[in-house]
Amino acid sequence: MHATLKKRLGKYALLATLVVSYLFLYLPILHIGLGSFAKNHTFPYPPRWTLDTFGRLFGNSLYQTAFFNSLLLGIGAAALATLLAAAATLGLMRHAGQRAGLYLTLFIAPLFVAEVLVGIASLIFNGLVLELQGNLVSAILANAVHGFSYALLIIATQLYRYDWRLDDAAMVFGASPSRTFFEVTLPLIWPGLLGAFIVTFIMAFNNLEISFYLLGATPTLPSVAWGALRYGVKPELYALATAVNLVVVLGLGLMFVLMLTGRASFGHRPERERAV
Amino acid sequence: MYITLDGVSRQYGSIWAVDRVTMGIGKNEFVSLLGPSGSGKTTLLRIIAGLEKPTTGRVLIDGEDVTDLPPHKRGVAMVFQEFLLFPHRTVHENLAFPLRMMKLPAAEIAERVAWVVGILSLGGLEKRYPNQLSGGQQQRVALGRGLVGRPKALLLDEPLANLDRELRQEMEVEIRRHQTALGIPFIYVTHNQEEALSMSDRIAVVRKGRIEDFAARTDIYDRPRTAFIAQFVGRSNRFEGVVEAGGQGIATRCGAALSLPAALPPGREVQLFVKNEKLRLEPDDGAGAGPNRLPCTVKDVILRGAYADYILAFGDRELNASRPRSERAFLAGEAVIARLEPGDIDLFDTDGERPS
Repeated sequence: MHATLKKRLGKYALLATLVVSYLFLYLPILHIGLGSFAKNHTFPYPPRWTLDTFGRLFGNSLYQTAFFNSLLLGIGAAALATLLAAAATLGLMRHAGQRAGLYLTLFIAPLFVAEVLVGIASLIFNGLVLELQGNLVSAILANAVHGFSYALLIIATQLYRYDWRLDDAAMVFGASPSRTFFEVTLPLIWPGLLGAFIVTFIMAFNNLEISFYLLGATPTLPSVAWGALRYGVKPELYALATAVNLVVVLGLGLMFVLMLTGRASFGHRPERERAV
Repeated sequence: MYITLDGVSRQYGSIWAVDRVTMGIGKNEFVSLLGPSGSGKTTLLRIIAGLEKPTTGRVLIDGEDVTDLPPHKRGVAMVFQEFLLFPHRTVHENLAFPLRMMKLPAAEIAERVAWVVGILSLGGLEKRYPNQLSGGQQQRVALGRGLVGRPKALLLDEPLANLDRELRQEMEVEIRRHQTALGIPFIYVTHNQEEALSMSDRIAVVRKGRIEDFAARTDIYDRPRTAFIAQFVGRSNRFEGVVEAGGQGIATRCGAALSLPAALPPGREVQLFVKNEKLRLEPDDGAGAGPNRLPCTVKDVILRGAYADYILAFGDRELNASRPRSERAFLAGEAVIARLEPGDIDLFDTDGERPS
């Protein structure tokens, strides 16, 4: 009797911890979300519903320009980071041999550099060495540096489980190296690449610390939001935060659905492990 | 020779995984590379496939030097131990893969896939994915993918190691039949001597990267060229001893007297192997020990179905004998005489070579 009570108490304690953790994580986001749909946006309890804030957001041409710039920045940086990270991971796993550990350390080192530092360092480097103006291109490059390390880790977890002997099989049966990649390797590892792309896209899309130094006069959503803060937290910012969150949630949701339906799965081992 | 390996070696770090291998394989030959794991036999196969580059030496296929050709230009095919079917492709797509790479017209691809589906009885499975097949079915698809392109040679890397015994024996017969029908060389890597013996024309015994012997399967079994082969192929009793005065007999360390098929210089240290099935058992007639007569006690009898394995106590060592069940059966504890003919002895120097 005593034991079951103890067990039950433990279970409730665990549940309570779980609920509190989730509240801690999601309450602020929910609060902003609620506020963005309410007339009384600073304290929306109970909310009086309206879409005014979104109207103001989408009516504002600065936000529109900023949105497209952010989109470009996100896609550009994500594409670059994913491409480079995929190539780097392939090289690490296939050709680095004994020195793989050293290369890996160098590849993920940017993870441990403060973003502000990456921003300033890139600014100086772009200005002094590359003679690049502060614009979208230099921001894409700097964000790709940061995203590269994350993309590398995500792709590596996928490729670690990939059976490279499948490539051997393809080549023995007449596929050139590039044909092998597109016929066999890519169809089996694309979930990892897509995952890396989505994560690095979200990071670059939301980034302020790096982009701030490199954008020059180009507005992006985070930089415009940062600038707007000087005039207080306006309703548009509530709408903006919610809209950005929605995009992010949609991206992750897409990934989740793909995995749930079995369209994307992570890693391929020889089939016989599952064979009867 | 249709396939020629000319002084092929492969170095990994300071280790020679394949060491100066020279061999020729005929167009209609079924050749096995037999050796313990780590002996370099798979590396040798991968060198022929082009998946590994030899450090030195040349590989010739059909008269052409392919040493520097990448695998996809060699026109050979391979069946892997892990099958390595493409998991994102159906059985039909897996089988069509080599043909698509050869850029054959669609009609011919369909025809050839239908042919291979027919000979391997894969009908009805074409739309399935590899993970929806049993191990045996995956094996057939892997074999079909190897045959469908009518390659210059088929390389098989322990293809039956993951199948259960019954299926394995079925596939042995089938693989051999396809080889005969297609008239192309099959090079078959295995550590399983039964597989090698049951299918091959010739067997190359591989040890530490070198070819210990490359000969007809009966020669490998009946007349092993080295002590390693005698030990590795078949199951044998090993004796050590010294050639007696007169050169006709040997006193083994365990106390047996064996007479030799041919005279040797007295005093020479040798090792001998006698295959388990060459030891004949007779009831003890009380006449005691003599040349090639070893009085033993039956310690244990292991029933194998068609034959029985006897574990015999001879002095303080064990001997193994394998007798058909059609012969007289002995029981544990019985006293028996183990007899052998001089011709049943495979004799080697202490370094493992035949005495010259």
